[in-house]
Amino acid sequence: MSPSRSQAGWHLLTVVILVLLGYAMSMASRQVDYVWRWDRVPQYLVITGGTDVLAPFDGTVGFGTQGELLLTPLQGGDPVAIPDVAVIQVSDGEVVFANNTLGKQEGWSAGPLLLGLLVTLEIPVLSLVFALLLGLVAGLGRVSPNVAARDLSTLYVELIRGTPLLVQIFIMYFFLGTVLKLSAFAAGVAALSLFTGAYVAEIIRAGIEGVPRGQTEAARSLGMSRGQTLRHVVLPQALRRSLPPLAGQFINLIKDSSLVSVMALTDLTKAGREVVSSTFAPFEVWFTVALMYLLLTGGLSIFVRRLERRYRHD
Amino acid sequence: MTEPVTDAVAASAAEPLIRVRQVSKRYDTGTQALSGVNLTVARGETVCIIGPSGSGKSTLLRTLNALETISEGEIVVDGVRVHDRRTDLNQLRTHVGMVFQQFNLFPHRSVLENLMLAPQRVLRQPLSEVEPRARALLAKVGLADKADARPSQLSGGQQQRVAIARALAMQPAIMLFDEPTSALDPEMVGEVLDVMQKLAAEGMTLVVVTHEMGFARSVAHRVVFMDRGELVYQDAPQPFFEAPRNERLRTFLGQVLK
Repeated sequence: MSPSRSQAGWHLLTVVILVLLGYAMSMASRQVDYVWRWDRVPQYLVITGGTDVLAPFDGTVGFGTQGELLLTPLQGGDPVAIPDVAVIQVSDGEVVFANNTLGKQEGWSAGPLLLGLLVTLEIPVLSLVFALLLGLVAGLGRVSPNVAARDLSTLYVELIRGTPLLVQIFIMYFFLGTVLKLSAFAAGVAALSLFTGAYVAEIIRAGIEGVPRGQTEAARSLGMSRGQTLRHVVLPQALRRSLPPLAGQFINLIKDSSLVSVMALTDLTKAGREVVSSTFAPFEVWFTVALMYLLLTGGLSIFVRRLERRYRHD
Repeated sequence: MTEPVTDAVAASAAEPLIRVRQVSKRYDTGTQALSGVNLTVARGETVCIIGPSGSGKSTLLRTLNALETISEGEIVVDGVRVHDRRTDLNQLRTHVGMVFQQFNLFPHRSVLENLMLAPQRVLRQPLSEVEPRARALLAKVGLADKADARPSQLSGGQQQRVAIARALAMQPAIMLFDEPTSALDPEMVGEVLDVMQKLAAEGMTLVVVTHEMGFARSVAHRVVFMDRGELVYQDAPQPFFEAPRNERLRTFLGQVLK
């Protein structure tokens, strides 16, 4: 289906409305006397100067025949060559102490925002693995003929869905984290896994219930046991149906993971807060952080839409 | 594998393959689905069950392999008391094939895999034994070239023929058909009935719930009429259709054979 001319007109209207909104926002920000300093943001994404090279011990600076940096220990001994210093920030004969800056390495390194983005990817990916396992078990429990399994999994799902994630994170960090001596990272992954597992359970339950009854009857009439029917007939179809909503849940997981920044975990949101406190440029930094989340989730939702289109034909 | 619970006399050749004795089924809602049904089916016999919708004919068929429970009475299939607690139903079902109105093929598996799944997983037969048999069965139902197709790529008639082949792949002693042609477009009914007729001619024991009076008349050894949960009347096809000695059956036939 090709977009008609009239549709193109409406798209244009959308663009006009967005431009007007943007203009209104910039006017509003002028009202509060805010100075935009976008130039301060890039250095927190990528550090081009490279990392500092620190003196390994107290010593006197000197230079070798090829101009390489040498450090002679104050306690006496032979000069030691300090490799990989591209930008030297000390002069000949200067006395430096351990951990003083000698210069900078060449190249670039990830700034706090990019490092935070990595954590924001790492935590959801890890949590997803545990959430899938947990959700599969709880989802099977929800449709199990065993009453105890059904009760337990229902209790789990209702408890998790009935309380705010932030409260669960606090409980995990301050209570369970203290009792079980969990690190902030482990507590964050555990809280997100437990939380997402409940939603995964509901997705899997819906997937199983969506498989027509006739499939089970056909498998059972061939002599397959309950377990064989589940494994070879029902679950493969249920999981296939569950794939698009599961991918959507992963997008939620990425966004929900911003809440772990309340613990001492430097994810993208926490990194944003730290950068704001050193740049005093909150508008620019938060817009940047939002854009980085959007790039992650946007890419994934395109992927989800493809999945949905692919499995609709089955 | 454990031997199923057998009646001491069940092994005798004279014993019918299926014996339904005084079977009743009530739902919790109070609806009487079956009341006092008696039926026997001999080895190699083809029995067609007809009757208005809601008469209990599908329910009766589904009690034969315990897809439905019963409230009273006894059903013995191939020497096994079907509704006995101690009966290994999975074991029983391996020799009672069933074909459904909605085909119920496994959509995530190819046609060949549909045939091979149960023999491999349930009977634990090796692929070298299962695959040639599966391919031979597909050839028998005229679908040798569809082995690698997905069920969704087949027409309704083809799907139902695959479903028959899938049930046959377990090498059952009995085949149950639950309105096998009711979900088919009219032009595909014939190809499915042809396969069933071939099975009957080979001496397979068939119990068929159907609305196809032509099939019942020409293929069945015996036709059974059910109405309101009761087995009202049974006879050989010719007297059954031409001189029914029962008022309810006459009324029913008058309605369907117009």
